Amino acid sequence: MVKVYSITKCPWCDKVKKYLKSRQVEFEEHNIEHSEADKAECLRISGDLTVPVTTVNGRDFVVSFDKEKLDALLGL
Amino acid sequence: MAKKKIRKDLIIIGSGMAGLTAALYAGRMKLDVLVLENGIVGGQIVNSVRVENYPGVPDVEGSALMAALQEQAESFGAVVDEFDAIQHTQLQTEHKLIETDSAVYEVPAVIIAAGMKHRPLPLAEAARYEGRGIHYCELCDGHQYQGKTIAVAGGGNSAAGAAIFLSKYAQKLYVIHRSQLRADKVAQKRLYELPNTEILLNTEITGLYGGEILEKAELWNKETDERYSLPLDAVFVNIGSTPNDEVFKGQVAADSYGHIIAGEDCRTDVAGVFAAGDIRTKEIRQLTTAAADGTTAALLADKYIRCMKEEGKW
Repeated sequence: MVKVYSITKCPWCDKVKKYLKSRQVEFEEHNIEHSEADKAECLRISGDLTVPVTTVNGRDFVVSFDKEKLDALLGL
Repeated sequence: MAKKKIRKDLIIIGSGMAGLTAALYAGRMKLDVLVLENGIVGGQIVNSVRVENYPGVPDVEGSALMAALQEQAESFGAVVDEFDAIQHTQLQTEHKLIETDSAVYEVPAVIIAAGMKHRPLPLAEAARYEGRGIHYCELCDGHQYQGKTIAVAGGGNSAAGAAIFLSKYAQKLYVIHRSQLRADKVAQKRLYELPNTEILLNTEITGLYGGEILEKAELWNKETDERYSLPLDAVFVNIGSTPNDEVFKGQVAADSYGHIIAGEDCRTDVAGVFAAGDIRTKEIRQLTTAAADGTTAALLADKYIRCMKEEGKW
């Protein structure tokens, strides 16, 4: 399952989510402002709390919006 | 595989206030119009938590204002594409070409409304700490600094807005500016009323230090010639903007800062190419002046396209 770690007001988070929807990619949204567990997981994956973080397996990830990297990560 | 070639009446580069206003007008004139955006739809204003000086809209979030404008433009047929990045442009020919990731667009007219991007902090170490203490988007990254010591570099309205937003996270907030504040009086009053904020004027950041992450900045008070270190967890940089000119640089006349040279009619030195909004040479850069530019550029682009069609050139 694709997971997007984000915060409530974040234009780049919105852009990533819109892109995934436009490519019909199902994803789970994890708002790190609402969950300490999600915050800790985001930190574990990327090493800091810069969002958005998109991951497919909790190991490989893309920070912010980078279409080329997202396509590679998601196999689009 | 060769990219498909698609003809449009008008392409607008950029989707800030100028670009979306132009799209609204072009859509209402039944032009086949496409807006291409490489960054965030809405432009820099989407990072503003509060817009209070747009006529008729007393108090609105920048993102909400621009989302409403996008919806309004799309309701009249304009198409906004934020996922098909522009790779190259050829603007100096009668039929202009815009190559994106997926297609080559051929158009008689282009409106450049690509806006501005943040000017980076002019220190060698700034790039090293970018994302690890040096930030350019308080909305995106401010949440990381709950209970920390934060500085905002800059003294204009953007810097004041950033400081007001970040004060809710910061245990201690500094506003550091090399001269006197340029923010309007309302913003300055709010800034001085913040309980956890200290404003350091006539002060420059001359160095950044730390390990993996930023730990402190070196400051220089130009009035007293005092140099000192200030422990900081983050600096949010709001020291002005530079034009977003990567995809058309050198094809239209620009000033030494990269602003496209055009008058109030938004016409550039290239026939069929119009410049609108903050990227145009002008004295005042506001949402309202960007909307005015978008209007002018769209109406004159429509006139230009009609002439091209009448003369059989399109």
